[in-house]
Amino acid sequence: MKTNRVAILTLAAIPLVLTGCSAASADSAGGTTLTYGLWDANQAPAYKQCATDFHEKNPDITVKVEQLGWDDYWNKINTGFVAGTNYDVFTSHLANFPEFMLNQQILPLDDYIKADGVDLGSYQDGLADLWKGTDDKQYGLPKDFDTIALFYNEQLTAAAGLTADQLNTLDWNPDNGGTYEAAIAHLTVDKNGVRGDEAGFDKKNVATYGIWMENSGGADGQTQWSFLAHTTGWEPTNGAWGDEYNFDDPKFQSTIDWWYSLVEKGYMPSFEAQTGIGWSDQLTAGKAAMASNGSWMTGAVFGAKSDSFTPALAPTPTGPSGKRASMFNGLADNISAGTKHADEAWKWVKYLGSIDCQSVVADAAVVFPAIPAATDAAVAAFEAKGIDVSAFTTQVDDATTFLYAITDHRSDVSALVTPAMEAVMSGKKKASSLSGVNEQVNALFK
Amino acid sequence: MTITANKETPLGEVPRTQQARKRPHRDSQLKAAILFLIPASIGFVVFFAWPAFRGLYLSFTDYNLLRPPTFIGFDNYVAISTDPVFWNSLKVTLEYVVMNVGVQTAAALALAVLMQRFTRSMVVRGVIMLPYLIANVIVALVWFWLCDYNLGIINAALDFFGIDKVGFFGNENLAMGTIAMVNVWRHLGYTALLLFAGLQAIPKDVYEAAEVDGAGEWRVFRSVTLPLLRPVLAFVLVVTVVGSFQIFDTIAVTTGGGPVDATRAINYYIYQRAFERLDFGYASALAVILMIILAAIALLQNKLLRANESDLER
Amino acid sequence: MTIIAFKASRAASRASREDDPSLAKSKVAKFFGRLALVIVILITLFPIYWMFRTAFSNNRAMFGEPLSLLPVDFTFGPLQRVLGLATPEEALAEGGSGASINFAQYMLNSIAACTLITVFQVTFSSMAAYAFALLNWKGRDKVFAIFLIALMVPGIFTLLPNFVLVKDLGLLNTILGIALPTMLMTPFAIFFLRQFFLGINRSIIEAAVIDGATQWRIFRTIVVPLAWPQIITLALLQFIQYWNDYLWPFLVGQTEDSKLLTVGLGIFKSQTPQGNPDWAGLMAGALIAAVPIFILMLVFGRKIVGSIQSSGVK
Repeated sequence: MKTNRVAILTLAAIPLVLTGCSAASADSAGGTTLTYGLWDANQAPAYKQCATDFHEKNPDITVKVEQLGWDDYWNKINTGFVAGTNYDVFTSHLANFPEFMLNQQILPLDDYIKADGVDLGSYQDGLADLWKGTDDKQYGLPKDFDTIALFYNEQLTAAAGLTADQLNTLDWNPDNGGTYEAAIAHLTVDKNGVRGDEAGFDKKNVATYGIWMENSGGADGQTQWSFLAHTTGWEPTNGAWGDEYNFDDPKFQSTIDWWYSLVEKGYMPSFEAQTGIGWSDQLTAGKAAMASNGSWMTGAVFGAKSDSFTPALAPTPTGPSGKRASMFNGLADNISAGTKHADEAWKWVKYLGSIDCQSVVADAAVVFPAIPAATDAAVAAFEAKGIDVSAFTTQVDDATTFLYAITDHRSDVSALVTPAMEAVMSGKKKASSLSGVNEQVNALFK
Repeated sequence: MTITANKETPLGEVPRTQQARKRPHRDSQLKAAILFLIPASIGFVVFFAWPAFRGLYLSFTDYNLLRPPTFIGFDNYVAISTDPVFWNSLKVTLEYVVMNVGVQTAAALALAVLMQRFTRSMVVRGVIMLPYLIANVIVALVWFWLCDYNLGIINAALDFFGIDKVGFFGNENLAMGTIAMVNVWRHLGYTALLLFAGLQAIPKDVYEAAEVDGAGEWRVFRSVTLPLLRPVLAFVLVVTVVGSFQIFDTIAVTTGGGPVDATRAINYYIYQRAFERLDFGYASALAVILMIILAAIALLQNKLLRANESDLER
Repeated sequence: MTIIAFKASRAASRASREDDPSLAKSKVAKFFGRLALVIVILITLFPIYWMFRTAFSNNRAMFGEPLSLLPVDFTFGPLQRVLGLATPEEALAEGGSGASINFAQYMLNSIAACTLITVFQVTFSSMAAYAFALLNWKGRDKVFAIFLIALMVPGIFTLLPNFVLVKDLGLLNTILGIALPTMLMTPFAIFFLRQFFLGINRSIIEAAVIDGATQWRIFRTIVVPLAWPQIITLALLQFIQYWNDYLWPFLVGQTEDSKLLTVGLGIFKSQTPQGNPDWAGLMAGALIAAVPIFILMLVFGRKIVGSIQSSGVK
């Protein structure tokens, strides 16, 4: 026993020695090292390339690019702020921007922008404004944007006799759903092969849903219902950095009521039935013919092409306003307030917002960079892969986009509204119950 | 003879008779005790006690992680008392704990006895430990898929036999139960082995005597096995209950607290308040309440189980 | 092993089984007992089989046949992705993330961290358990109860303070930093060992005391050998637990030198919001990560269960 314990203790000492060795990795000889964080693994190679190119232009600055999955990423950022171990520059998201900005955790860039003459107008319209704080200062340079479109399985739509033209020109209204609902109904097939709009349709035994529900959408419904609600003229808040939400608006509630009616008719899975494997796998498996989602998922969905699944895209339907609508989410990079290398960090941010880096990102065909020329390059890159992304870009070209609603208390709003939306989509409550939640939400701002 | 020693309370003290015998040595034992306890005490103070006190302090503040905390007295606690999500989380957590501990302990006990009475195979023991070797998060994901309404094999089988499909994770009434069963699946073998170890400690002659008496399986279990297993069973129960109250991983990966708060257990609610809503002061107050509840339960368990002692010498 | 020797050993074990009064005799009971065990084994193994089936499937094709019991489009790709043998292009082509994984390094890191934690924690905890179970001093049980409260300190209290402490000590991104909070003790370990130490025969210890042995000598030469099976059991269980730990190692260890295996395998989880995990890679990763602890279990498992029967539990 004694020798055993001695042996084990010696064994345990080895890691200590190893840790001693690893701790000796200091900063490289001279120069600054910046840390940069992002979450999308598909974009990591492009940004690593940008980092290499940047280093060539600025030999005394090295950028270490680190990629972590979505959940892990925000864990790291929040802990990083608390402990002072955050990245120097990190990819930020509008959902968290208010909290970071209001708590002065990120640096305003106005002085740098003025000094270096960066033209905020060189980005797609509206993107730069998204990153203005309540103090009217600019906190980020637009880097890429995404819009919403309908992903569908061409094999199933062809079998239903729906052409691409038809799918590209769908219309919708909250009363009878327009040709959008008609298409969804026709695409729904039950176990016996009866379609949703044919006699004898068994809504209790659906084999393929016309459209999928990817959970309730919470407070923004970015990919679920925002593109419908906005065509009614509804606005989620009273403007950027607003202090009043409009979930009690009848236009919004009628949209949600219509959306839930799809469940009642059997064209869309119930909330209970959709809890589980995500929408893109369901689409691939043929459980749904169509699903609305964002452009960042293009690579993943089109990569899943198979014998039974041919992915295609269609723009969102036009609505009562006569036009389409899509949420226009723009990402930007923020500089942590705790960085020790603010000037170098700015150089990197400037590079990220420049055409040089954005062209590299465009060629990777993962997202749409914010500079119009780079956007076009990305579209071409997608085309080279055989993917027609006009369904996404048409929203930008036709100026039918609306901005992500930025307010303070965003996470509290989400925490209040999400369960309420889930109750509605589970059929337990009507959309009118959202007026009650709206009051609670507005109370946060008083 | 060991069993005599186990006559002590499961969580408690040494009977007085033995204490009396030791009296002459008390001083030297205190010094020795201190030396033996130094490393553990450092660990306790630095990594458990101090964070706990800091947490207690934070529960009286408004703290969003990004700015220093500001003192607000009992405001958090007052807000908690009128928070429907909090009360719901207690109810939901209790449901989970009862289902999880109940099924897990009963099944583990049954399994341990099965292993004891029907097979000594190492293969069986190895197999039942396998779920514990897989990370909690992965186990949750696998079951999330197996139970999926459309793509999961369980529902496909139900459908095949003409039974209505079940929304295991999506149905408000079933979600918590499903999560409980997933955790039972993962921890069953581990718990069974702990109990099995306890069973092995029961002397064989007791079973011989029972056999001679002509006792059936159930009788043997009830009057022989169960009473002698009490000390280990008590330990397993305490640890399992305390652990169950802190359920988090499975919920985070599958239902995220839904549908409509049906699985928003207290530990998950604490995490959401702290890291998603950046309301660390409120979350700390919730955590303090959780600690008090756990301490109360442990105390209660201690009292209840004290009433029953291991009784080999009959 | 010759046929004769093999047959002899089988006969011997059968004979011992027949003589073992703790094994059931009734044929009916045996049948139902064995049946129950078979059902348990099937339920235990099916999800694990599903993991294997997925680990050898092609991610892209997989959901085309979601209910297939066999791997879909059999491929070694996921295995290669996990072991870091696939190029980013190959990985992306099969639906992986294209991020690099330095499997061997992460495996070594995990082994180092878990060994460090387990060895020291078990050592210091057994010392503390000795003080709580076999030494006599005033206030002993009250202090033990206080240590036990540490069992109930919610993770959210300890997470940030420990992180800040590790950072202030300059131990971020080191194995030692990962190990530190649990290296000195955990309440579970102390509780576990104390329960078993309570069962040790006092007379041996008293005899040694009368002989003039120091407490340390008694601990080292009598108690530890007697409780060795329990100590090994605890060490094994704790090793497995820390092997699968995610959040803490994730926060502390982000460099290649300090990233643990579970953290490294995080690249297979869902990377983007609304995205899906690299199922095949994830399953392959989880299975491969389980191999070292599986081996550990096999090696030490025999020792544990075999010797429990002949431990100081007389």
